[in-house]
Amino acid sequence: MPAMLTPENSMTAPCPSSLPASPLSWPEQRLTLKSQLEELALVWPWVEAIAARYSVSAETQFAIQLCLEEALSNIIRHGYQGQANQSISIACTVECAAAGVEREDAGEIVFTVEDHAPPFDPLAASGDVPTPAPVTFDDFPPGNQGIRLMRKFSNRLSWQQLPDGNRLILGFDLRRS
Amino acid sequence: MAGGITRVALDGRMDIAGAAVVDLRMNLIAGSARKLLIDLKKVDFLGSMGLRSIVIPARAVKSRGGKVVLFAPNEMVESVLKTSGIDSLLPVCHDLDAAIAELG
Repeated sequence: MPAMLTPENSMTAPCPSSLPASPLSWPEQRLTLKSQLEELALVWPWVEAIAARYSVSAETQFAIQLCLEEALSNIIRHGYQGQANQSISIACTVECAAAGVEREDAGEIVFTVEDHAPPFDPLAASGDVPTPAPVTFDDFPPGNQGIRLMRKFSNRLSWQQLPDGNRLILGFDLRRS
Repeated sequence: MAGGITRVALDGRMDIAGAAVVDLRMNLIAGSARKLLIDLKKVDFLGSMGLRSIVIPARAVKSRGGKVVLFAPNEMVESVLKTSGIDSLLPVCHDLDAAIAELG
């Protein structure tokens, strides 16, 4: 499937600068990928289009792309273990705060990643205890960085087991500029 | 560069695809360099696979008694470096003279 916004999302007003009178959820946008690393190339233009539409800052866009790359590559390499024709779906929803509400954030952009791989809770696997800084390169296994990066760069990270797979939810704050 | 320093300038996105492009050349360079300056000034994205493309050659150079410096990452790329903890193993410099001094 090509990376594109679904046609029903024809909203032109960017979320943070054009706040509605009451809290509002924008329609969901969805991308479906095959379980191949090459498919990740479809994610970046999809995220860029969403970021442009909702005036997402460059820093938040970096964080979104980083977390999605880590989550999706983990699913492809470890969840599906090299099976190339499985599917992964990514849904994006944007929720804006009500206009006039005295708070710094302007809402949240949430990415929900679902797969049909065997159950695996990445948050439980990585634990909650911060890993100490490495002293030697032997303390630095590059393969263990994904969860650490997702924890740092997302504002909300949770996992749910589905009847036939996994759901990972990544939330990012939309801040007023 | 003077002083036996090898400068490798990376450019673009160091994501999975970008890492695959530079891995072989990085490892070849690391096979002979003793003072390696990895210039990240033009890197606008760094993920864990891109990080791996930096760490593995850096480890090879340091295992032979060489030195490696990471130079001029942008703010978000530096945040990835710090989150990973690699900055405790490899100095991160924003000033070229300071980077050269680290390699001296």
